[in-house]
Amino acid sequence: MTDISVAGGLFAARKRKTLPAEMNAFLGLVALVLIFEILGWVFIGQSFMGNDLRLRIMITQVAVVGILAVGVTQVIISGGIDLSGGSIIGATSMIAMSFAQSSVFPRAIYIEQGWVDLPVVIPVVIGLAVALACGTVNGILVAYVKLPSFIATLGMMVTARGVALWYTEGKPISFPTDAFKSIGEGLTPVWIFIAVAVLFWLILRYTLYGKHTYAIGSNQAAARMSGINVERHLFLVYVIAALLAGLAGLVLTARSQTAQAMFGTTNELDAIAMAVIGGVSLAGGRGSILGTAIGMLIFGVIFSGFIFLSVDAYYQNMVKGAIIVGAVALDQWRQKRQAMEI
Amino acid sequence: MKKLVLGAFAAMLMVGTAHAEKIGVSIALLEHNFLAVMAKGMTDYAAKTPGLELQLEDAQNDVAKQLDQVNNFIASGVDAIIVNAVDTSATQAMTDAAAKAGVPLVYVNRQPINVDTLPDGQAFVASNEVDSGTLQTKEICRLLKEKGKGSGANIVVMVGELSNQAAVQRTQDVHDVIATPDCSFMKIVEEQTAEWNRAKGQDLMTNWIAKGVKFDAVVANNDEMAIGAIQALKAAGVARDSYIIGGVDATQDALIAMQAGDLDVTIFQDAHGQGAGSIDTALKIKKGEKVDKKVYIPFQLVTPANIGDFLTKN
Repeated sequence: MTDISVAGGLFAARKRKTLPAEMNAFLGLVALVLIFEILGWVFIGQSFMGNDLRLRIMITQVAVVGILAVGVTQVIISGGIDLSGGSIIGATSMIAMSFAQSSVFPRAIYIEQGWVDLPVVIPVVIGLAVALACGTVNGILVAYVKLPSFIATLGMMVTARGVALWYTEGKPISFPTDAFKSIGEGLTPVWIFIAVAVLFWLILRYTLYGKHTYAIGSNQAAARMSGINVERHLFLVYVIAALLAGLAGLVLTARSQTAQAMFGTTNELDAIAMAVIGGVSLAGGRGSILGTAIGMLIFGVIFSGFIFLSVDAYYQNMVKGAIIVGAVALDQWRQKRQAMEI
Repeated sequence: MKKLVLGAFAAMLMVGTAHAEKIGVSIALLEHNFLAVMAKGMTDYAAKTPGLELQLEDAQNDVAKQLDQVNNFIASGVDAIIVNAVDTSATQAMTDAAAKAGVPLVYVNRQPINVDTLPDGQAFVASNEVDSGTLQTKEICRLLKEKGKGSGANIVVMVGELSNQAAVQRTQDVHDVIATPDCSFMKIVEEQTAEWNRAKGQDLMTNWIAKGVKFDAVVANNDEMAIGAIQALKAAGVARDSYIIGGVDATQDALIAMQAGDLDVTIFQDAHGQGAGSIDTALKIKKGEKVDKKVYIPFQLVTPANIGDFLTKN
């Protein structure tokens, strides 16, 4: 059990810092909200935040990528990267949806086999199984074959997108059962995100799994020396990330009430950006789900804020890019300053 | 009836001259749904035309294979060639080969890179992207007038991916139609991208509703965004009779939404018509008739009134 004390030691050292790493992101979020609130009163004549429907859509519209980001955050903390999430969303979406179709649509894919109006657990389990398969391949390639995670998950990004396109040769799949639709209705995606985020926030903070993830990300060699089974642990991290991508795919499909082969495209980059904005270090070993959640809210505020102010989408992308780069620059500066203080 | 008489007359003429024609066709990828319907348009045309024989080949998305097929057509002495290009930037070689042999060549659906320099005896048959957004906006304009909103109506525009030519063109069409005196009562109050995507269409519409945007019509660059908007409008409990909504593509989902009364307008790209039009053009060139270098098969407006004609087409 020596590994606990060592990992705990690393963790304790991390906690000695005065301000939590999420503080930058949180202040950024507050600043953005204030800017939109003021501009709203000046140009639109109404409150940005004091609007029930807007508050709800602000979170709902980023909840799917948020679920994905919870998995990506763990991969990044462990010192890796996962580019395959967006494509896993696509593959999961297509395959799960083909088992979630309602018999009201006469051209349902498996209507001849009678696989329509199935109970909602069947598409959910099948979807998660697809994600599990992708995650297992990612995990084996990174942990045991020792491919760089960038390469292994880039391969999966291309392959899983191929699967999504091959499954129906690019044709969309629509008309799910009401039970399946309910996964994506109203605020359900947000509740699912909150459940997943709180669960993994607690796990990362208080369990051995979390401590090992930070330890491996901080210094893989040291983690190994202290007796952590690095291979097995990394494998688990990639499997969990893929399962969360699969869950995101299911929620997106239910919400859209359709599956399309290009679902999730570039979502992996948004997820990485949310984590990075939230103070998760791409060097590994640092960051939290809370930070990622704040990063997610920043994205939600930007989307809604730009539509609120009727600003062209071109500028939205430019601002998004600037915020990502700015967040990392600020974080590095803070780290350097803190290193000098210590 | 008129068509039938004309057809019979044409058939008699052909029998009279005992003239058999052979056309070689190379399709980029027959598995592709749209292209399969297009090929069906060609075979249907040939079946109605006595003495016309089609040799249909699938290039299976292979540029080299397609060029071989074209060269084989030339070698076997076909009267005309129709090509649905695998790679639209690799068409010059086929153009040169056909021109050298003096065989008419018609490109269909995919615009060849050398479309503006095609030699005599060659043409391009497709639908003109300008038509889709124009037809859509004109119909929405008409519906708004019908509802008695001809004195002033607000519209919101959902734009496809900003990098995409079709999105840029269809949005431009909306602006162009509104610039005409007939539809100048329409005013764009919001215009924003939802990236062709249904979920993003939902998000965009919900954000607009939250802002309290008042509109009489939604013009979406494609059906997916329109359906997303419909889902958001339903979820927010907006009265169905307070807005007109239109998309483009006539997808299965859109047609079913239209049958349910959720969607008012969509636009159909006529694959079958493009196939038939390419054969027609090839035959005209062969006969020495003058044809345009670009032959456009019109997009078709789909509304609840004529939806029956389209349910089985795509």
